[in-house]
Amino acid sequence: MEDTTLYLVKVGEILLKLGNRQEFEGRLRTELKERLGEIPNAKVDYSPGRFFVTVPAARAADAEAILARTPGVNGFARTLRTEKTFAAVAKAAVAVAEREVAAGKGSFKVESRRSDKSFPLGSFELSRDLGAAILEACPGLHVDLHRPAFTVHAEIREKAFVFGDPEPGLRGLPVGSQGRGILLLSGGIDSPVAGYLMARRGLALDALYFHAFPYTSEEAHEKVKDLARVLAGFTGGLRLWTVPFTEVQLAIKRGAREDLTTLMMRAAFMEIASRLAARRHANCLVTGESLGQVASQTAPNLRFTQSTTDLPVLRPLIGMDKEETIATARRIGTYNISIRPYEDCCVIFSPKHPLLRAELQRERAAYEALALGPLLDQALEAVERMDIAFSERILGAK
Amino acid sequence: MIYLDWASTSPPDASILAEAARMAGEFYGNPSSPHALGKSARAKLEEARSGLLGLLGPGAAKGRLVFTGSGSEADSLPLLALLRKASKDGTKPHIVASGIEHAAIHEELPVLARFGLSFTLVDPGAEGLLDPGAVAAALRPETEAVFVMAVNNETGAVQPLAEIARAVAARAASFGRRRPRLHADAVQALGKLPFEPAALGLDSAAFSAHKLRGPRGVGALWTARDFEPLLLGGGQEGGLRPGTESLQAAWGFMRAAALAAADLEERRRRALELEALLIEGLEGIGALPLPLGRRPGDPRYSPFILSVAFPGLSGEVLVRALATVSGAATTRGAATTRGAATARGAATARGAASLVGAQGTEGIAVSTGSACSANLRRKGRRVLEAMGLEPALALGSIRVSTGELSTQEEISTFLERAGDLRSRLGIRS
Repeated sequence: MEDTTLYLVKVGEILLKLGNRQEFEGRLRTELKERLGEIPNAKVDYSPGRFFVTVPAARAADAEAILARTPGVNGFARTLRTEKTFAAVAKAAVAVAEREVAAGKGSFKVESRRSDKSFPLGSFELSRDLGAAILEACPGLHVDLHRPAFTVHAEIREKAFVFGDPEPGLRGLPVGSQGRGILLLSGGIDSPVAGYLMARRGLALDALYFHAFPYTSEEAHEKVKDLARVLAGFTGGLRLWTVPFTEVQLAIKRGAREDLTTLMMRAAFMEIASRLAARRHANCLVTGESLGQVASQTAPNLRFTQSTTDLPVLRPLIGMDKEETIATARRIGTYNISIRPYEDCCVIFSPKHPLLRAELQRERAAYEALALGPLLDQALEAVERMDIAFSERILGAK
Repeated sequence: MIYLDWASTSPPDASILAEAARMAGEFYGNPSSPHALGKSARAKLEEARSGLLGLLGPGAAKGRLVFTGSGSEADSLPLLALLRKASKDGTKPHIVASGIEHAAIHEELPVLARFGLSFTLVDPGAEGLLDPGAVAAALRPETEAVFVMAVNNETGAVQPLAEIARAVAARAASFGRRRPRLHADAVQALGKLPFEPAALGLDSAAFSAHKLRGPRGVGALWTARDFEPLLLGGGQEGGLRPGTESLQAAWGFMRAAALAAADLEERRRRALELEALLIEGLEGIGALPLPLGRRPGDPRYSPFILSVAFPGLSGEVLVRALATVSGAATTRGAATTRGAATARGAATARGAASLVGAQGTEGIAVSTGSACSANLRRKGRRVLEAMGLEPALALGSIRVSTGELSTQEEISTFLERAGDLRSRLGIRS
């Protein structure tokens, strides 16, 4: 038989939502099965409050990459499964402790849980006796119940499971539990982070990119595809829609007052996104907007640009500092893609002195006067679709 | 594709490449080896060297010719040698360079400054030409080298090197010093205009083969003054450029340069015709040849190179639109999305192509000095900005450059497409 590695997967927030627990756990199970299904012979088993994942040992790194990117996973740990005898459990506990000692750690504690009440030792006794066994095997260690360098966990269920400190998961909610949103994805730093944050809150995502060739380059489009590939690792696959936007942009530039061009463009973005949302049964839009970051992102301007949609526009970065956003972008691996130097050539389209405080009725009238309807129809008709598998960027072996 | 980007590189002449490869196969000995194979290879290498040297005018024999890996390397050899001068006698050299030098020099200067050397940049006037007096005025007693390119690669401006040489010598004499090294990057000059470094009063000059339909990966440095090179090795190329010599590269360079020299007058005549067609045609579609007011046939500019501004357009956008061929974007999309591009994807690409008027037409290759973003960092269009051109025009400029295979039909097609794009994509500002 092939060598396998077993993971215990902890689910977090899900447990708090008792009313929806079943639905959420079912959703997470589907997500885990689908993503881990990329690994042949991977298995996902459920045990109340836990999942157990078994993969061929050679694919352990891939399994960890997947578990670390799946929203709803609170943490996961390589786990030893043993017979339910004290000797077997103690042997496993010592093995876990020896691994930690080898990594230079000096203090520990043991935490036990016993859902099989037929096991002869209670949780307290089991912890105490396992601690003694570990101390005997690793004489340099000492027990620290308050600030241990590591913890050995033993759980007595249908089998005994022994593991060390779990690797942190993303927490949050399983993707899809909150329906679907349309992410307005540019090549910048903010929108991929916004997408990541909302995926973590359980939103399935489609990404939408506005391509203004030849004002924006093919390289800029490639950059967006690469960002989508990274996001797909978190969202469990992603559909990227590319809307040819040049004609709309030119119509705005030629027809709108100069200080309004960016606002009109963003209003058109929202309108197109809103129509795509209807087609995709999405229930919200997601943007990377942050209050006051640029002229188009003041409160009065947001009021105007979102007036072309009746969907909620989710803006997870609205109160975030740029530095925080950059830190997150670095952590999730989008930053180095976002800073590739292919920003849109919007120098030509950006007004020198953009309007800071839109007045809703007045600006709405200006937008209506542009009569963009037929152009927006055309743009949506020519939309390009690309399906990105979640695994494109995270499975090394492929 | 219509190729109007000869100043970037030229389509290699297949017969030259084949002949060079054959020579390399036949005379494969190491030119430094004492046996018969080595000696025959040495003889051919020296034949290539003297052949190329012979094209540089009667006075060139007082200097020597060193084969390098590129024109950039040929610029770097005398420049980096200044580091050794610095370490020997305590006073750190000062360098004077034009503000429009090739990146091989322009980018290197701040690095040298970190090692204690100092430099002064001299910008040209609005016409892209350096004032010899201004170059001389930048000299200091400790100035060891002056770098001025022969023909600017963006504007085609032919710098007054002979006058600069005289002015620099006079200024140095006023310090009681010998004239510092005067080096010219002549990559856009060789084979394009009569270029005799010794007659101009230069001490060294850099050349490159691939601008003349020769092979990539080979340049040459002509130098009438010795220097202590920074890189040492097996003593090849008179000790100035270590590394086993490539007969293939040297031979290909010599043949390409010889062909260009033999055909120089005819090539110039045709280039002047195309230049006239271009300048007049561009004015007809509201574009502005640079420097502003440049007329056809002006001997102060290389007829092979023309920068032109399109007010209200970004040069980068224009370059991209000109390069678009119907179907091209589709191919690219399919390749990069691993087959995921759908029929809809193809439709998008067709939409883009029709927008830029490319249906059923050939793409046209021209260049911009930079990407739009690089502009924002003041990098790409530094040559035009050094001339004092307003940034909006510099941003809206492209470079058109021709070569021996360029035709009037190509220029006409370019003008037609550029005019069309100007009206479709131009933004009133």
